[in-house]
Amino acid sequence: MAEFTASVYQNEFLPDGGTDVHAIVTVSCSGAGSAGQSGSGDAGEIIIVDTSGSMGAEGVRAAAFAAQTALDQILDGVWFAVISGNDRAQLAFPPSPEPVMVKMDQFTRQAAKDAVARFYADGGTAMGTWLRLASRVFATVPSLTQKHALLLTDGENQHESPEVLTQTIQAVTGQFQCDCRGVGVAWQVNEVRRIATALLGTVDIIPAPDQLAAEFAKIIQNAMSKGVAQADMRVWAPQGAQVLFVRQVAPTVDDLTARRTEVNALTGAYPTGSWGDESRDYHVAIRLAAKGIGQEQLAARVQLALGDQVVAQGLVRALWSEDEALTTRISPEVAHYTGQTELADAIQEGLAAKAAGDTATATTKLGRAVQLAAQTGNEEATTRLRKVVDIDDQDNGTVRLKRTVEKADEMALDTASTKTTRVKK
Amino acid sequence: MTSTTKTVCPSCGGPISEADRFCETCGAELTPATPGTPALDTDTEPTIELHPGAARGAEAAPGPCRSCGGAISADGYCENCGTKATKPRDHFSEQPAPWVAAVCDRGIRHSRNEDAVAIAADPEPGSRALLVVCDGVSSSLDSDVASLAAARAARDVLEAGNAQGMGTESSRISAVVARLNAAADAASDAVLANTSPDSPNPASCTFVATVLEGDLLVAGVVGDSRAYWFPDNAEAVALTVDDSWAAELIATGVPRHEAETGPQAHAITRWLGKDAPDHTPRTTSMKVVGPGWLMACSDGLWNYCSEAAPLADLTRQTAAAHGGDPLATASALVDWANAQGGQDNITVALARI
Repeated sequence: MAEFTASVYQNEFLPDGGTDVHAIVTVSCSGAGSAGQSGSGDAGEIIIVDTSGSMGAEGVRAAAFAAQTALDQILDGVWFAVISGNDRAQLAFPPSPEPVMVKMDQFTRQAAKDAVARFYADGGTAMGTWLRLASRVFATVPSLTQKHALLLTDGENQHESPEVLTQTIQAVTGQFQCDCRGVGVAWQVNEVRRIATALLGTVDIIPAPDQLAAEFAKIIQNAMSKGVAQADMRVWAPQGAQVLFVRQVAPTVDDLTARRTEVNALTGAYPTGSWGDESRDYHVAIRLAAKGIGQEQLAARVQLALGDQVVAQGLVRALWSEDEALTTRISPEVAHYTGQTELADAIQEGLAAKAAGDTATATTKLGRAVQLAAQTGNEEATTRLRKVVDIDDQDNGTVRLKRTVEKADEMALDTASTKTTRVKK
Repeated sequence: MTSTTKTVCPSCGGPISEADRFCETCGAELTPATPGTPALDTDTEPTIELHPGAARGAEAAPGPCRSCGGAISADGYCENCGTKATKPRDHFSEQPAPWVAAVCDRGIRHSRNEDAVAIAADPEPGSRALLVVCDGVSSSLDSDVASLAAARAARDVLEAGNAQGMGTESSRISAVVARLNAAADAASDAVLANTSPDSPNPASCTFVATVLEGDLLVAGVVGDSRAYWFPDNAEAVALTVDDSWAAELIATGVPRHEAETGPQAHAITRWLGKDAPDHTPRTTSMKVVGPGWLMACSDGLWNYCSEAAPLADLTRQTAAAHGGDPLATASALVDWANAQGGQDNITVALARI
């Protein structure tokens, strides 16, 4: 049985008249088990592979091999299907004109591998059609409580307008989770990130086709290790208070604020997807009506809920004090993740400015990113930034844009921008 | 959530079990709880001897939120407005007989209630009443635990004793004074018992006790908690003189208001505790003629009304507004002090004679 714990890191002391309370809440899960084994419903997995013409014969062969590797990682008893996508979506397995899924066993696994081997490159790219088909396929198995998809693309979403893609993303949000990968350098990070973020998944670049299989295996293994089908983060704030934001800040930055659904007038729920044995950090900010010196009150109850059941709770407190030694202290956890969030923004804004030819803004933003990465000890980010800028002064954020940059390095910096380092506790 | 067997270290507040001799967290030596003198857990200990008629719910279920009336969650905060639920130690009242009552409150500015009160009375109105108030010194550790233990120990000594001397007026007085001395000794022992031996900042508190027996009223004081007699048809009497820097200034001719608002106003010159030079109470006695109010209180109240005459007026008016009920009157006086700012813990004990 999965067990959850929640720990709160904050400076609860507010100065006279202070209203804003910030806290980092670490939620940890242990004993999660594996997908579909927890007894609370079945797990489903759909592999979506880009078979557009741009993939070419070699790309499709690599993708097919990667899909076969992924099929090997899906646990027996898990419902699954394979979709091949170009400017329209096709159910590659099970072979059926209507949406359908089957349970994994040695025979269906082999049949699926055979079907995948028949992939060929043809047509354009319309990812919205792939997502819609995946949603319909998942819907055919009512017992599914855990629905995960792996989506691979290699190019821009040329055969579908951005508006249509947006509508599709909205329509399928909450239906299933989706980890997205782009192979090569012809795809748009922003476009794919929109899908992954809405569908509570990750986005990353796979620079070369021969790296596909290893990445696919890792993603499916990870999905299969999520024994808790889905959990909600709940945030209670007192009457009259305002929830300024709720962000996941580790392992990646993900703003949950707009995903709130109401549990009751004082409590909002934010979907967090499935959980394995892992730990995630959340940054919660609440604005309260100021109380008198010496008064204490609860600023938030931060809970993790499985369905209607609250399985862990952390309390965020507020205590007004006139002792400046207490009220001016900044929680190291809050400071660390505030810096990491700004780092993600600085990288994305810097790269966007660079792409738009605004060298001055790009230099400033990426310089700030270098400075923040150093301050928060995010060495991975520093390494990636070094491939895009020459660093003159790390502490002051003085950088110059490199004359020539590998497109893949730039995309890797972009896709990894939301990855954070944990604060040392 | 809170186990009744769980206690906290009196030195650092860390968790300890009853079998521990030393605190795991800070290493302080722990006084074993002996039968008859149970350790006080200020988080969970219900106030003793709650008057059965007092308007309070079952002790286990924390009442509605004092701020908005909402339900209190198991986590100790209101489910609606988030206000922290009051701990029993933060606000409690006693009413051993209908004519005697006391209210002890954390106030507004302080984070814990280091005031304490313990009272006793015979049922017959005006017969026998014992009021003890101890105000923990907030610059020392564990003063909230020590002050409550001290007040209760003193009250128990006063309650047990009934020596009348040879029955003459002067021998009755000296018998009561001897009891007050013994009560102060017991209170001092209780403070020491709740001070960890190597505490860098030993617990300490003030002490004021009044003994009313028939027409004899004796008050004893160590520190700056006070006793007053407010007769209905005569001038109000301050029964005690503070052991404080301010009182010494007043004795040299400095006006009371100036002395009591100066920078050293709250420095006391005598107290109960490990580092106290002397804790023999200074006593005064008087004969009670006619009806009136006997009050013992901490500086949380008199800070806002120090002179005997205006405090008597305030008490009489407040009593009149509450039908002369001692508990309602004491409670209203605490509310009044909170309305003035509640800068300190507030204790008011009253006997209607």
